[in-house]
Amino acid sequence: MFPGMKKLLLLLLLVLPLIITTSGGKMTAWAQEDEVEGEEDDLSDDEVNVDDGTGAEIDTAEGGEEEEEEEEEATAKGSPDADTVILFTKPVGSGTELPAGKLVEFLVGFTNNGDKDFILDAIDASFRYPMDFNFYIQNFTAIPYNRAVKPRQEATVMYSFYPAEAFAARPLGLTVNLAYHDADGNAFLEAVFNQTVSIVELDEGMDGETFFLYVFMLAFSVLLLVAGHHFLSSFGHRKGGKKVVVEMGTTKRDDVDYDWLPKEVLNEIKKTPRQSPRQRKVNRDASSK
Amino acid sequence: MKVLSYLILALAFVGCVLSEGEGEERARLLAAKRVHNLYLVEGRDIVVQYSVHNVGQAAAINVQLTDAGFSTEDFDIAGGQLQVKFDRIAPNANVSHTVVVKPKKYGYFNFTAAEVSYQPSEDSAEIQIGYTSEPGEGGIIAFRDYDRKFSPHVFDWLIFALLMIPALLVPYMMWYNIKSKYATVPRGKKGRSD
Repeated sequence: MFPGMKKLLLLLLLVLPLIITTSGGKMTAWAQEDEVEGEEDDLSDDEVNVDDGTGAEIDTAEGGEEEEEEEEEATAKGSPDADTVILFTKPVGSGTELPAGKLVEFLVGFTNNGDKDFILDAIDASFRYPMDFNFYIQNFTAIPYNRAVKPRQEATVMYSFYPAEAFAARPLGLTVNLAYHDADGNAFLEAVFNQTVSIVELDEGMDGETFFLYVFMLAFSVLLLVAGHHFLSSFGHRKGGKKVVVEMGTTKRDDVDYDWLPKEVLNEIKKTPRQSPRQRKVNRDASSK
Repeated sequence: MKVLSYLILALAFVGCVLSEGEGEERARLLAAKRVHNLYLVEGRDIVVQYSVHNVGQAAAINVQLTDAGFSTEDFDIAGGQLQVKFDRIAPNANVSHTVVVKPKKYGYFNFTAAEVSYQPSEDSAEIQIGYTSEPGEGGIIAFRDYDRKFSPHVFDWLIFALLMIPALLVPYMMWYNIKSKYATVPRGKKGRSD
């Protein structure tokens, strides 16, 4: 029983890969084409530019998904003769994590596989609500390029934008659409990128906010020190002063506070006999003459 | 039995990989051209950077980058070359190249795309032609205008200082005369004699 089974399995082992290798490409392609067709059925719309050979690629499969959402704003879609690719250069990576408040830059490559010229019109990017891509959160400027791409040639265009800092730590749907038309005037709108991205907050060691927080704290503590010093010193003075501020009238002539006068002046006063101000004035006049 | 099932899995995997890798492997280059200056000034350096990214599966061979956008009548080349060749750019690798140019005149200038030509794989004879991104039109400011805004204005300040000297010197002299007139009377004696 067992040896027979082993032989059978060995045969299977040899046959199965052979089958896969000989008809493998077609098999996988079929599966993916099915998917696209299914979506087309869902849409049941007038789609002229149906993917044919290139439909097996993942890029276009994603494009097919995208067109579902783009349906009401543009009936046109990617041309089968055009091949687009996106590359995020800033930040480097797949583009699924974008820094909030920092420049995001990507390149879109366009290859003309057909035999007619293509003219790249514009790229526009927009943030959508990730649950419902028809709900726009932010539209970015559409950059017009107006570049002709000859047959068998390719061109690169660059697009950059800043995700707002308010979007930090939120998932958003990012859609990048490339609009182009061919020499016959057929317009196409292809979603080069259509994914949910998360906006991440880069934590730097020292940003303006925290810096000024520390400055404010320093200023506040200095203010507290100054206020405390002022309060303490004035409190001490009041204690000493309170005893003196008892109005006695002019009855007691010796009770004048001379603390604030310099010692020399006090000596002078003690030496000179008291006299009326009028007499003093007369004396001064005489001396000046 | 277990070993056999593993073998089946492994072979099936190999088969899948083989069938998937059937497509022709090609290099795919994305090229960007960036102007790094905030102000484009007549007679001053402009840094232009070209970066070429290979996003294909194969290495790009004999990559030739040519920028015909900077004609010699409009620009001097201060550094770098407008035509450069990279023998090979591996998949998922990128190279960059920088040129420093000096514009000879001011006005608006359209920075156009540079051309990239390469062989998309080791054994292909065809030459793929591509173009970099276009930085677009940029205004080149006249040096005079730039200087007015950003120079340290040393000469202007010098003239200002010269003009300010009489306005400061005259009141000072007047004050000094009065001061020296009255400073002869010793203050200490005055205080004691009173």
